Amino acid sequence: MHLKIAEPETDERLLIEAAQRDPSRFAGLYEQNFDRVYAFIARRVPTREEAQDLTAEVFHQALASIGKFEWRGTPFVAWLLGITWNTLSAHWERNGKRQEVPADELELAGNDGKIERRAMLAKLVDSLPPDQRLVVVRRFMEQRSIREVAQELSRSEGAIKQLQLRALQALRARLRSSYE
Amino acid sequence: MNNYAEELDRAIEAASSGKPVELDPEKSELVQVALDLKTIADPEFREQLKAELLHGTKRMPFVPGAITREIPNHLEPRSTFLPTLSGIGYGNYPLNQRSFAASLGAHITVLALVVASGVWAASHDRLQPRVTTHLLLPSDYTYAVGSGGMHGGGGGGSLDKLPASHGQPPRFSAEQLTPPRVVVATESRLPVPPTVIGPPNVTFPADRMGDPLSAAITPSNGPGVGGGIGNNRGNGVGSGDGDGVGVGYRAGFGGGTYIPGMGGVSAPRPIYDPEPEYSDEARKAKYQGNVLLWVVVGADGRTRNVKVQRSLGMGLDEQAIKTVNTWRFVPAMKDGQPVAVQVSIEVNFRLF
Repeated sequence: MHLKIAEPETDERLLIEAAQRDPSRFAGLYEQNFDRVYAFIARRVPTREEAQDLTAEVFHQALASIGKFEWRGTPFVAWLLGITWNTLSAHWERNGKRQEVPADELELAGNDGKIERRAMLAKLVDSLPPDQRLVVVRRFMEQRSIREVAQELSRSEGAIKQLQLRALQALRARLRSSYE
Repeated sequence: MNNYAEELDRAIEAASSGKPVELDPEKSELVQVALDLKTIADPEFREQLKAELLHGTKRMPFVPGAITREIPNHLEPRSTFLPTLSGIGYGNYPLNQRSFAASLGAHITVLALVVASGVWAASHDRLQPRVTTHLLLPSDYTYAVGSGGMHGGGGGGSLDKLPASHGQPPRFSAEQLTPPRVVVATESRLPVPPTVIGPPNVTFPADRMGDPLSAAITPSNGPGVGGGIGNNRGNGVGSGDGDGVGVGYRAGFGGGTYIPGMGGVSAPRPIYDPEPEYSDEARKAKYQGNVLLWVVVGADGRTRNVKVQRSLGMGLDEQAIKTVNTWRFVPAMKDGQPVAVQVSIEVNFRLF
């Protein structure tokens, strides 16, 4: 199974130009980059709520300033992660926290293997069978306990753990195959 | 298999809380997948943000190069936001143009209705006029003796040479058992006070013909015939013809028409009796009350000689007369023949 994470340059350029002409065409760029931006932020803030708020802020700013973007061959995600980093810095300043920015982190962000892995994982979750996908969403993305998920789905805790195991095994297998 | 699933879950919990855990390579790999999954966005949030962005772009004017960092303000609790047309929070929620148009239209419609109802209420009287009429028969009211206002009459006599005696006439009654006499031929063993036919509640001024108790002049029943007092005929008093008093005939007093309920005269029955209209003057002044009319209902069923007995003014008397003049009746009957009668009509003008 081969997953295409980055669109070819020409496709991405077309998406950018379409969004610049008509902001309602921003959906393609959003779908293509959401997981990477979210994963980048989620690694650096303690709570899911903060990650969601900052991700929303990044995309609002990106949409508002996409007309300023000039295509010079640099991947769009690099420009997007620049906005992301500025947003994170402003967030830390507002909260009285300062975090040193490694000089090369931003440059490497666009090619961060962990971010790419999480972005790919987000897409793979959608390919799981419905019951496994539901357990993964409730258990990890919404961070609920085994007991809460079991009550909601009217299943035993043991059954939920089994579904969780099979889902993780399936995702691991698909991640492996996507890197081969 | 169950044990493995439980061990894996415990390892995931431990790794999530930052505790060091020693795991075999396979389990470690699965735990890492689980930890990575915890950094993936909730699909619901992903779709919500997408909708927010796309719907927001439909309304937000796009200004190339304008970086509006302050617009989203997502660090504030979202419950404090309310979508506004152009203020803070604009674009943070998906807005539907159709919903906006429908809401705007509904508000304009309601506002127009409020304004229109206010204008209508200001230009119309809130009080609605209501006019009712009542036909009053003699038992319903008290007659007042006036000059020429009442008619009917009676007369009689016993062929005496002398003119009839003057004085207070007997009282009126609906039925006559004993006719009036000044000179009584024989005394009855069961004497009944003499009466004449007419409204029982009429009081008569003195110095009228026929006081059977008067001894001031020579007693005389008068030169008439029939048994009453006077110079004509009948069991009444006066120069008329009948059982009443005065120059008229049949009953009552004064001369002219019958009175319903007296002497076997039936009441006229209205067959066309539209209600009078309120006068503009009285309606604007919120003036209300009763008008009492004195009306002759002819043998042809038409009204005539309509006169105001109790006036109200402000044009309401005229309205009442104008309308009553158009009324039509089944005429009053006496002995199978239609006769003219006097009735009163009360017109009530009310505002509700």
